[in-house]
Amino acid sequence: MKKIILSCLLFAAVLSGCKKLLEVDSVRTVGEENMWNSLEDSRGALMGVYALTRAALIDNNAHWIYGDVRSGDFASPIRQDLNAVIKNSLNASFPVVEELSNWTRWYAAINAANLFIERIPEVKEKDLRYTDNNMKLDIAQARFLRAFAYFYMVRIWGDVPFIITSHDGNFEKMPRESKDKVLAWVEKELLAAAADLPYIYSDNDPQQQGNYYNEDRVRWEGALARKTSAYGILAHVAAWQGNYADVSKYSKFVIDNFGKSAMSWLPTDELTRGNGFFDAKRFNHLLGFNSDYGHEDGSTTGHIEELTLAEPVVTKKIPDIYMVKDSILNIFNEADDQRFSLDTLGNPRNTAYFSNYNGKYPIFSKIKSIQGGQTDPNFRYFTSPIVFTRLEDIALLRAESLAVLGETGGAIEVLNIIRQLRGLKAYDQNINGDLIDAIFKERQRELMGEGHRWYDLVRYNKIKGTNTNFTNLIRSGGIYWPVSRKVLQQNKLLTQNPYWE
Amino acid sequence: MRYLLLAFSVFAVAGISRASGVEKEKKIRTHEIRNAIFVKKIALEDSVKAYKKNRSGRSSFKDSLSGKLSPNTPFNLSMFPAVTLQQYVKGRFAGLNVQESSGEPGTNQTMFIRGAALPLLSPRHVYDAQPLVILDGMPLVNEHPFAYDIQQYNFNRIGPATNVLSNIDMDNIASVEVLSDVEATAVYGPQAANGIILLKSKLADTVRRVTFSSYIGYSPRPGITTINGNYENAFRQRFYDLYTTNGRNSEDEVYPIYLSDSLSAGYFGPSNWSDLYYRNAMSYSINASITGGTKRANFRFSLGNLQNQGVADQTAVNRYSTRFNINMRPVKWLLFSAMVNANRVERDRNRSLRDRFTQVNYFPDLSSPLSPNKDVYGNYLSLYKNGFDDNKTNIIDGYANLGLDLGLIRFDSRLAVNYNEGYRDIFYTRSLMQNTSYASNYYGFNQRFLLTNSAKYDKVFDSGNNFHLELGQSIQWDTYKYNNAYAYKGSSDFIKINLLFSDPNKPDEYLLPRAFPKELVFRFLDRTRSNLLSAYTTGNYSLNNKYSFSTTLRVDGSSNAQPTKRFFFSPTASIGWNLKNELFSKSKQISALDLKFGIGRIGRLNSYDNYAEGPQYMSNVGYTGNVTVPGYNAFAVLTRPYNFGWVGYGIPWAYSNQVNGTLSTAALDSRLRLAATIYSKTEKNLLFGVPDGAEYGYREFIKSGMSVRNTGLDVIVSGEIIRNPKNSWTSSMSFNVNKNRLKALPGDIQQVELSNRLLKVGESIDSYWLLQNDGIYESDAEVPVRNGEVMKFNGSLLKGGDPKWRDINGDNAIDNSDKVMMGHALPVLYGNFDNALTFGKWNLNLNFYYNLGRDIINQNMANRFDFINREGQSNINSVKEITFWEKTGDYSKYPLYNPWSTVLPYRPDQNLFLEDASFLKLRSLSVGYDLTKMARSKMKLQNLYIYTTINNVFTLTKYTGRDPELVDYTGYDTGYGLPIPRTFTLGVKMEL
Repeated sequence: MKKIILSCLLFAAVLSGCKKLLEVDSVRTVGEENMWNSLEDSRGALMGVYALTRAALIDNNAHWIYGDVRSGDFASPIRQDLNAVIKNSLNASFPVVEELSNWTRWYAAINAANLFIERIPEVKEKDLRYTDNNMKLDIAQARFLRAFAYFYMVRIWGDVPFIITSHDGNFEKMPRESKDKVLAWVEKELLAAAADLPYIYSDNDPQQQGNYYNEDRVRWEGALARKTSAYGILAHVAAWQGNYADVSKYSKFVIDNFGKSAMSWLPTDELTRGNGFFDAKRFNHLLGFNSDYGHEDGSTTGHIEELTLAEPVVTKKIPDIYMVKDSILNIFNEADDQRFSLDTLGNPRNTAYFSNYNGKYPIFSKIKSIQGGQTDPNFRYFTSPIVFTRLEDIALLRAESLAVLGETGGAIEVLNIIRQLRGLKAYDQNINGDLIDAIFKERQRELMGEGHRWYDLVRYNKIKGTNTNFTNLIRSGGIYWPVSRKVLQQNKLLTQNPYWE
Repeated sequence: MRYLLLAFSVFAVAGISRASGVEKEKKIRTHEIRNAIFVKKIALEDSVKAYKKNRSGRSSFKDSLSGKLSPNTPFNLSMFPAVTLQQYVKGRFAGLNVQESSGEPGTNQTMFIRGAALPLLSPRHVYDAQPLVILDGMPLVNEHPFAYDIQQYNFNRIGPATNVLSNIDMDNIASVEVLSDVEATAVYGPQAANGIILLKSKLADTVRRVTFSSYIGYSPRPGITTINGNYENAFRQRFYDLYTTNGRNSEDEVYPIYLSDSLSAGYFGPSNWSDLYYRNAMSYSINASITGGTKRANFRFSLGNLQNQGVADQTAVNRYSTRFNINMRPVKWLLFSAMVNANRVERDRNRSLRDRFTQVNYFPDLSSPLSPNKDVYGNYLSLYKNGFDDNKTNIIDGYANLGLDLGLIRFDSRLAVNYNEGYRDIFYTRSLMQNTSYASNYYGFNQRFLLTNSAKYDKVFDSGNNFHLELGQSIQWDTYKYNNAYAYKGSSDFIKINLLFSDPNKPDEYLLPRAFPKELVFRFLDRTRSNLLSAYTTGNYSLNNKYSFSTTLRVDGSSNAQPTKRFFFSPTASIGWNLKNELFSKSKQISALDLKFGIGRIGRLNSYDNYAEGPQYMSNVGYTGNVTVPGYNAFAVLTRPYNFGWVGYGIPWAYSNQVNGTLSTAALDSRLRLAATIYSKTEKNLLFGVPDGAEYGYREFIKSGMSVRNTGLDVIVSGEIIRNPKNSWTSSMSFNVNKNRLKALPGDIQQVELSNRLLKVGESIDSYWLLQNDGIYESDAEVPVRNGEVMKFNGSLLKGGDPKWRDINGDNAIDNSDKVMMGHALPVLYGNFDNALTFGKWNLNLNFYYNLGRDIINQNMANRFDFINREGQSNINSVKEITFWEKTGDYSKYPLYNPWSTVLPYRPDQNLFLEDASFLKLRSLSVGYDLTKMARSKMKLQNLYIYTTINNVFTLTKYTGRDPELVDYTGYDTGYGLPIPRTFTLGVKMEL
């Protein structure tokens, strides 16, 4: 009997404390109660919005396929999916094309921003280290990134569902909202964010004193959205809407204040060196998302280099995209262009933009950040940032706006800043032709491979209206991408863009 | 807690009993056996002799079919040169279907008992559908699929990916059973929802006995047809002739360089790579054991070694195993027993490019595939020699059991430990990949501690009625962990290991990379823990040798369940009726006739702790091709799990409602026997990631509410065609019909479109979803035009050279709504056909194995035709293995579509590539000779048996690809499975 009692006691002892046993805290995820408590949580969440925005931009090399490949400036020898994009056959069945029509990754960034804006006061309440100023800056960045995401999406899909609260746990289906309304909101939101954003972080900006999150200015260099970034995007938003008066206004702000953001005009060598502008993070990235080698943040994909580089720059036989010789000559048609030009005998003189000009595939090698700016061709591990906009881009936008508004003198003046930077003579209508044409040609050359060309073409054709095919494309909504079938299937309130039905 | 109390109160009430009775069974057995003995008498008294004869271990009454009517004795099973448990049991047990998707020794195979409980969309779903393997009462821990989270491609799990069920040496096993009925599995709780493979070790014994068994095997190299560049050129030329004017489809088009130079001996010379790729393989196994001791203390100790070579790609596995059992009985009523089973498994893995590139996570330039020429290929293979790829797994299981035997009541208290750890150390030299070396160290373990206590009460009444009552409780602690580090571009080809400085006394360099640039060293650590707390009671009662009743009540609490729904209560009941004793007790014709019916509910565990958290945050902001990004600007981020999926609150336990009824009978003096079970298993509240929430950034919403029903019939017919003392012939066949249906999806949605599957309520979960191919549009003019609109495929105009896909819904457009669900990735009917013949001292065994109603998508063929999209890119699609130069299948069956078309004419999701993959295999043929008599007289041996086997003798199938078995759970034949060899063995079993 004793034995039985003993055994029973043992039994009971084991059973007690079972409740504790079943509470195993996951080390793989952070539960709701462990989030939004401290400064570190707010930093993690804010950096999360940046990271998600970067992921949306570079997933499947989206930014460059949307911007550069679609324009048709490049040719693709083996990738049928890129050929389909070049031909504007965006209903083609290739996986990459289907993925690029899916906006889920953008909405992840938006949802993270929405959640941040809603929940961040909890950190303020719980962590005394988290100051009012810090919160104000953080919210301004979240609002900026959210507005940027909407702007980017409107350029790709036109009308998009407009969601500015997290709907956490109670996800409502939303129809598409008119692009004009969304853009009006974007402009307002960017202005509001701009008011709170500093020119620079951790460098005694009047609006941001001391070290931001206890890190110095070098750590934040080129990594965060600044006041000037917001005005840069505002200029782009206005340009996309054809509101050139605002373009002029916003771009002027950037040109007048870039010094406060520690920015400067880029020499050609800096622009095209492997370890120059397109490497790591720089103040000159007016809006950039880095993949810094030092941060172990590089990758083999999600960089323009994956598409453009091949032998002799890296060990890869055939590039995904390249520029045919005729196009190069057509675009770089001025002598002494430091980016690319031929000498009088027809041999390449400046080859900053193209390698292997005389080979079968001239390689577009303006951007070539391999392993933190090394020249090792054998390991295609790229570390270039995605730079959405930079000072030269804004200057050319300004020139464009002034030209459209008829302020020819001002436009030429700005255009000449860029031309001079690249070793070109001042603009001369007799040689360089129509001013608008010259500005867009300069954009094409200067911003090649930075994801701008397609949108430039759209604006150009809106201004000019001479290309009937393109004008029809604009009118019929063919400049947008189809909405992914996967997305349409989930949400019955959505409709396909009529052009792609 | 409420349920716990409930369970115990039922236990109390159930204690109805009458006076005491005969006690025949005093042997120490695990409780399953003890259960079994009582009822076996009731149910099958008449055929006991037959069981003894075919040595079929002691089977549980609860398991009506397998183990009883088939010759699945460990003795027979051990003659198959298997490495893994799955290989031993494949094609042997009713209701169990084993998929062996590669002949590479030591790789994973999947098992399904009575179908798959959930749609198999990824390795994690396969993991959730696997049966539980119980060795001596220990539920064995498996490799957790969470490591797949950091992988872009899920072809293999990171680490050694060795099958952790390679720890079974059949020579050490006393019995193998497959438990599939709910009344048999319910007592094991939620891990047993997919059925159980129950293994019992040979026990320690007082008789001093030494056994020795061994075989050697030989697998001849398979014969294949090789091709070279000429053949491939000729194949492609027809497309160029049809669809291009000057050999180019567009101005930018390039013809692959390796196919352009017909003078290149590497691609256009003799295609004799197969001499180096395939080989005549050897295998052998040796196992020796010794038992002995006294009544107070006795033991069994065994040692074994197994080596098994694959016929392809120099693959091999090498296992050392040892096992020790001990029983100690210091006083009469106390028994201490312990067992340790330790195995070391080393594997030489395949060298496929796909597996290497996905491991390295880098695709070099793929414009030139491997050369089919032996010399060139040999040079390439030699590059492996300077590096290494070591895969080691240690698998240790053990328990210590303390039993108190107080006559009517017995207590058992047991601590069991299950531990397996894997190491993979890789170094690929610079010459192997464009001057970039790669090193990787992986270490991971899966660990389970299990503490169980049980009390059993047994009583046999004077009337012959039996009563068994059992009360048990257990706590299980699981931990899964891995450390994975890899690095690129080492400074030297000679520093291959120790990626990091490992001396903690030098803080300056501790854990910094050694010979690799620090920016190119990547580390991943992950760990997940889960606990399971259970209590159960089970009671059996048998009345008048005619009726038996049993019930099991069980409560489980899981840390992977949400805090508000931690506990789950699962009741099970069964009733048995011995019709022989009731109606035909005098009949000579009918030797046994039993009816049995069971009904019950079993919980299902969440395998991921994420689900317990509810809404959560993660550091996972990767993108296609780089899935593991943890931060931005070198700060770790915390975001909602957009890539993983939204998890909300209020997720209940998933569970499985199971019902089964069995009729078993024996007639003609037990010479003809039949057992048939009809079952229905309905899974409820399964978690499922519904693609949803795109406008909130989520890939899917993980919701509860999916329901899947498996229904089916398992039949075994067995006959002793010849039965006399010297000669006998027993033949048995099993037919297992399984049909699955999706009964519900979360949130009452009716269907979900996944990438290449459709899940639709009321349809099968393993169906393909395919476009119907009706041929080819020879010209643009043939494409249907309606109201001036040319037919489109997903918005793109169809043209001449495109496939004629059937417009199912008649809207003059081809899209997903024109896809049809058809075919099955899992067999509708499967089973085996065994013959055991004895002529005096000769034994002959034949084991056939078949699958019917199973289909395969021949993706390998689709890929070959889709060459335009699979050429020259640096990504997974362009990887061409050496087997690219092997000809399989019949090319002439397929129309010549325009391979450049943007509708992807050779897409695998069309019935053009769907093939009937039903097959019949003679899996093994063995001939044995019993030399015992001679051995006893001349060699002082107790037993001596020699045998020879041929395995994988032939396959009958309509499938035009390779072996239809070499396909994984997706049903897509990618051509990656290494061939299952035909093996000849010669073996001996002896006892001193």
